[in-house]
Amino acid sequence: MASPAVVEISRWQFAVTAVFHMSFPALTVGLSLFLAVMYTVYVRTGNPLYLQIFRFWKKIFAVGFGLGVVAGTVMTFEFGLNWGRYAHAVGPILGVTIGMEVITAFFLEAGFIGIMLYGDGRVRPRTMAFACWMIVFGTLLSTTWILSANSWMQDPVGFTEVNGQFRASDWWQVLFNPAFSYRYPHILLAVLISACWFIGGIAAWYLLKHRALPFARRTLSIALGVLAVLMPVQLYVGDSTAAFMGAHQPAKLEAFEGNWKTDNNGYNLLVVPNTDKGRNELQLGIPRLGAVIGKDLTGKANVPGLLQTPKADRPNMWSAFYGFRTMYFTALAMFAMAFAGVVLRLRGRLFTARRFHRLMVWMAPAGVIAISGGWITAETGRQPWVVYGLIRTSDAASHLSLGAAVTSLVGFVGVYALLLGLWIRYIVHTVRAGPELLVADVGPTVIPSEVKHA
Amino acid sequence: MLEYASYALVLFALGAYLLLDGYDLGIGILSLFDRSDLRRKEYNELIATAWDANESWLILAGVALWAGLPSVYATVLPGLYLPLVVMLLAIVLRGAAIELQSAAPGYRRGWGLVFGLSSLVASLCQGLGAGAVLSGLPHHDGVFSGGTFDWFTPYSVLCALGLAAVHLLAGAAWLQDKTVGTAHHRAGRLGRPLLLAVAAAAVVLALGLRLADPQDFRFDEPLRTTLFGLAVVAAAVCWGVAWFGFGRRPDWRPFAAVAGTEAAGLLALVAATAPVVVPPDLTLRAAASPHGSQLFLVIGVGGCVPIVLAYNIYAWWVFRGKFTWPAALTDQPAALTGGSPALTDSAGPSDTAAREHAADAAGSRAPVVVRRVLLTLLALGTAAVSQDVFGGVATWIDPAGIAVFCLTALAVWIRSDRRSASAGEFDFPAAER
Repeated sequence: MASPAVVEISRWQFAVTAVFHMSFPALTVGLSLFLAVMYTVYVRTGNPLYLQIFRFWKKIFAVGFGLGVVAGTVMTFEFGLNWGRYAHAVGPILGVTIGMEVITAFFLEAGFIGIMLYGDGRVRPRTMAFACWMIVFGTLLSTTWILSANSWMQDPVGFTEVNGQFRASDWWQVLFNPAFSYRYPHILLAVLISACWFIGGIAAWYLLKHRALPFARRTLSIALGVLAVLMPVQLYVGDSTAAFMGAHQPAKLEAFEGNWKTDNNGYNLLVVPNTDKGRNELQLGIPRLGAVIGKDLTGKANVPGLLQTPKADRPNMWSAFYGFRTMYFTALAMFAMAFAGVVLRLRGRLFTARRFHRLMVWMAPAGVIAISGGWITAETGRQPWVVYGLIRTSDAASHLSLGAAVTSLVGFVGVYALLLGLWIRYIVHTVRAGPELLVADVGPTVIPSEVKHA
Repeated sequence: MLEYASYALVLFALGAYLLLDGYDLGIGILSLFDRSDLRRKEYNELIATAWDANESWLILAGVALWAGLPSVYATVLPGLYLPLVVMLLAIVLRGAAIELQSAAPGYRRGWGLVFGLSSLVASLCQGLGAGAVLSGLPHHDGVFSGGTFDWFTPYSVLCALGLAAVHLLAGAAWLQDKTVGTAHHRAGRLGRPLLLAVAAAAVVLALGLRLADPQDFRFDEPLRTTLFGLAVVAAAVCWGVAWFGFGRRPDWRPFAAVAGTEAAGLLALVAATAPVVVPPDLTLRAAASPHGSQLFLVIGVGGCVPIVLAYNIYAWWVFRGKFTWPAALTDQPAALTGGSPALTDSAGPSDTAAREHAADAAGSRAPVVVRRVLLTLLALGTAAVSQDVFGGVATWIDPAGIAVFCLTALAVWIRSDRRSASAGEFDFPAAER
């Protein structure tokens, strides 16, 4: 049995690596679709504007995709490295699901990314477009499988337990479990939305700087158009997901709503929970709003509190509450901005409203922040279980020494902080360099800054 | 028998990784010993098109092991904790270095160094891990139960050196196939010393295995002996072909021969050790997952392997022949000449701040305030409907409302795009063509 300290360190390590990894697919899934559409439009119309958009975003996509791949490689091994007992117990189910992800999705992306990034001049434009669509297909498949695996951990069905190991009794139920049908659309919309904010934010920056105006107008219009359509749907899907989770994992909803006793019909904006005493030291909320959001328009129904759950089965309110608030408040800001986008369009001022553009620049990372908050809610709200109701996280860790666990945590945090810094710097540099000169096809390549010596 | 099929899948993925990412890692290490920036950039670009796909085989090997032989996965990964974590970190840094080097104009020394060093570290850690598994890991109830430094044995250190030599050999063979000029000559000359090193490593490690591996080798079984003998002979023949092929035309021959040597060597190792996966006593049967999972793994994942191979071969075919600088590099003339020109666009039809201020100043404040209050209320209303607050009244209200919002947004988007297009706001100015 691993010591509690090793479990705690392993949890932190998984949290850090998972959030870091997720911030890349959060952008690249949507970007791959955007790139494929842009390139297809270019092939069909021959309009160089779309080639410019494609080439500019390809530069950011290439590095983001590469970092996402390497961070994802770490994840597949971490299941066994730190969570050996968990891996042994669920291998017959989740190993297969993730095996399918690797063979159908990872290889598809990896096989065609080389053609997409370096295939200019080696393949025909149609083949290039095909490669782009294959990458879209791969990233979507990857999202599907990984959500299926994670949703099974949230709400396990279709299995039997033999000697502490789980085996599938009904693969269909395992793969397309009830939680999956709510969480998959939610995350799919989320990754598309977060890519749109990123694209729109950078477009707004160019508009503010009066650079590459056709490029900026075109991409801002696309991003805000998609957002205006998707944001209402996402709020609805998110609400249904929360309701589903509240029914299947009551403790998660109790924790993320931030109540201890079931005596509050308000909506908490800020709480300072005291876990030992089972109450909030500070609580700031809007009366009756909690009940209204919970479909009771009279505003009387009380939101369930965490004291309903036995103490041993309670998740940490801090992470669940603030994870959820991060996601939800960011989502409301995104909704408001998308709404403002529609209004500005109606007034014909979308490309001239400078205050709006300044806000848009700040919204560029909004989607990634919301997705991170959502994952923190989903994962910490499931605690103390790793597979809900079946395996406790404290029973899941490997037989490791504290020293080894701490060393690897420090290593991951250090390397990932470095990479995050480099990634942001790369984005800033690429955006500053701009898309202006990305269309001209210069003749045979030389690297002028290089001098042959040796 | 199904566990043998799962094991074969794991071994196939592992072998593919050994060969394919092996050459990436080998070229990475070789790049440390090259003093020309141009060539080091070339080595990086040579790998940039394929490292991603090559690395995927390692992930496949890992998850196939997890799904098919969960006890092995839960024993080996915690057992090799530190070397595996260091290897993963090295692989992360290598991937970042390749992508950022490739995206940068010119050559970045820092990334070149990270690329080379992380390739070296990853190779050594893989060797340490392989050596540790072959020397046996303690386990209990299908999970690892040993100490933090159990992986560190004399045999695993020898293995690390041996595997680095194997990767270097694959790297040299790939360089002979893909490059011209100085790099090509050097790869041709490096081949034979590396082949000797690999042969020496193979002999030492094979003899050492008898001491390191706690299990009894049972070479009295005819099938095992025959397979082992054939594999060793095949490895020797391929080794000979590689010896002959280095520095000679055709350039693809050394790599093909090295591939044969690696495959035959892996087969010989498996023939000697099967059915034991982790010595001394974790056998395939004991480690296997339930029948249903294995069946899904072998049919689902195994069935996809031919398709995966097909498009990977296609991708390889696209980049066949000698390395040439990709057209993508021509996209960076601005960055290459230094300084960002920061073109301001003069052709934009409707500009901008001045008109905005004029519009704001025109009306009086009151209508603006009223408009904003109404719009805020409207936004709150749409947000409430989107969050299904009327779901308690009737389930259809909110979905119907959302459908209206989405259609409105879509209609507004299309209309404004048409207007902008006809006003020329998306027209590409001649200056940028």
